[in-house]
Amino acid sequence: MAIAAALAVLGPLGWWWRASLMPGTYSVMDMGYPDYGGGSRVDHSTMHHGGTEVTALTGPRDRPADVSVTLVARAERIGLPDGRTVAGYTLNHASPGPQIRARQGQLVEVRLVNESVPDGVTLHWHGYDVPNAEDGVAGVTQDAVAPGDSHVYRFVAKDTGTYWYHSHQVSHEQVRLGLFGALVVDPPTGAPAGVDRLALVHTYGGRRTVDGRPGETRVAAAPGSTVRVRLVNTDQGTIRAWVSGAPYRLVAVDGRDRTAAPPVTAAAIVLPAGGRADVEFAVPDGGGAVRVDVGAATALVVGPEGAAAAVTPEPAASIDLLSYGEPAPIGFDPGRATRRFDYRIGRRFGFLDGRPGLWWTINGRLYPDVPMYMVSAGDVVRMTIANDSGETHPMHLHGHHAVVLSRNGVAATGSPWWTDSLEVADGETYEIAFVADNPGVWVDHCHNLSHAAEGLLAHLAYTGVTTPYRIGGGGHNHPE
Amino acid sequence: MRSTYRVFAYLIAAGVLVQAATVAYAWFAVIQDIDAGGVFDKNAGANPGHYAHGIVGMAVIPLIALIFLVLSFFARIPRGVTWAGITFGLTALQVALAVVSFSAPLVGALHGLNAVALLAAALVAARRAVEPVPQQPVAA
Repeated sequence: MAIAAALAVLGPLGWWWRASLMPGTYSVMDMGYPDYGGGSRVDHSTMHHGGTEVTALTGPRDRPADVSVTLVARAERIGLPDGRTVAGYTLNHASPGPQIRARQGQLVEVRLVNESVPDGVTLHWHGYDVPNAEDGVAGVTQDAVAPGDSHVYRFVAKDTGTYWYHSHQVSHEQVRLGLFGALVVDPPTGAPAGVDRLALVHTYGGRRTVDGRPGETRVAAAPGSTVRVRLVNTDQGTIRAWVSGAPYRLVAVDGRDRTAAPPVTAAAIVLPAGGRADVEFAVPDGGGAVRVDVGAATALVVGPEGAAAAVTPEPAASIDLLSYGEPAPIGFDPGRATRRFDYRIGRRFGFLDGRPGLWWTINGRLYPDVPMYMVSAGDVVRMTIANDSGETHPMHLHGHHAVVLSRNGVAATGSPWWTDSLEVADGETYEIAFVADNPGVWVDHCHNLSHAAEGLLAHLAYTGVTTPYRIGGGGHNHPE
Repeated sequence: MRSTYRVFAYLIAAGVLVQAATVAYAWFAVIQDIDAGGVFDKNAGANPGHYAHGIVGMAVIPLIALIFLVLSFFARIPRGVTWAGITFGLTALQVALAVVSFSAPLVGALHGLNAVALLAAALVAARRAVEPVPQQPVAA
């Protein structure tokens, strides 16, 4: 009797635990279950050609690059200006790494050399819709670059705007510890007139910094001049930024311009993890300065030398991108969607690879039993992202920009809200749409990278495209 | 088996005390970090107190409670299975309350109160194991 009772309790638990164990190495193609979203299960183009490997989907290899950069990754201590040093990773002995700046249409080539990062490294171009083989996701689009090895990325800078790059190998540690930098693409005519200032926000060892500097950083700008500040949130969580001393306009989000962005005075900008916001304002003629706060008393102070900026407290209100700016054509009709997907995020007790805990679920299931969203080139895709997990999730789809259609059933009415890093707060439901125009295998995950490591990672795959790379195993690939 | 049952009951009671201690330490550590200019946000992750609270609460105590429940089937303690079941059930409830509290922080108050109920159940169970076995009538 006692033995039967014990088996009745332990049997299902043991089975549950055992079923959660993952093989030492696996392909993302074998992970979870395909979700065709109501569309076709076959790609008609591959019925004649026999399918495409990710390795074939590269940027141009046949001509010299216009912008050529070598980045050397090292494990070393990062010095902060306040005198402290923190253990971390650098690119060319710096964190953040060098800014990569190109003009639209140029061919960018980046040679990544891993000198001493033990786990291996990659570079992912966050928000930049590069060809799949250049996407830099270990175990999906390439093998992690081991110490002593190198890897070359090549892509055409086809979109203007503010982006960033970071390692996508053990990324929840490597990004936090410094393996990242900015990618900015100007129009073919060059950077716009006025002051153009990059502001990479990152928290090192519990100290929030802008471009590696905690506290106030002064930026010289003449009275009356126009200033663009390119805010990049390289952290794991949402930050709120606000501007004191002048009205500002939020002129671009996630590398896409906002049409007819109106001036804002008393509202903050909510910047999801991985997101970017370009802010434009004029330095007052009266001799004052403008202050751009990113929280934790860290700020840029922009103006003539010695000018003071009023420090206003953080506004309670924030810009709602759903209604900010004026509508404009988006170039496709979401009403003619050929695939419809659900990406419902929850949380429950369970086993993740044998470890008991509270884990994230996608459509009710734990990693790796998550959907593989299947599309074909040319599909118009609608995806509903719902979050009922108790915490906020900045969702990041690689290789595509999506437009927000609605939030909690309220349709978007402002400037088209193109995004690659969308904050989906607890209790919220977003509907987004995008055109499947970049064949490959693309991860679609939470950019609170610790959450991705806890299983909040799925992927979008084009029918007929396969990857030879594997997670785990000999390549030691751990993309999260 | 009776003494093993008792030990496991006390282990769960001790686990509750560890949880009260770790979560209190965790938040005082956060307050001190902030005083020193630190930022407590999603980057900060778990400090040692939070980390211990998570591991002990999500893995260690549930595992002990599970073993305790299975042990109770073999221990032949009057109402021993009942009290092990109550202890296990309150442990499961404690985890469930933690899950809900991320969305509804006020539910976290119940998480704190349920900890006291779990402590009491574990102590009652332990006492059942120390009560002497009733004297069997001597066979004639």
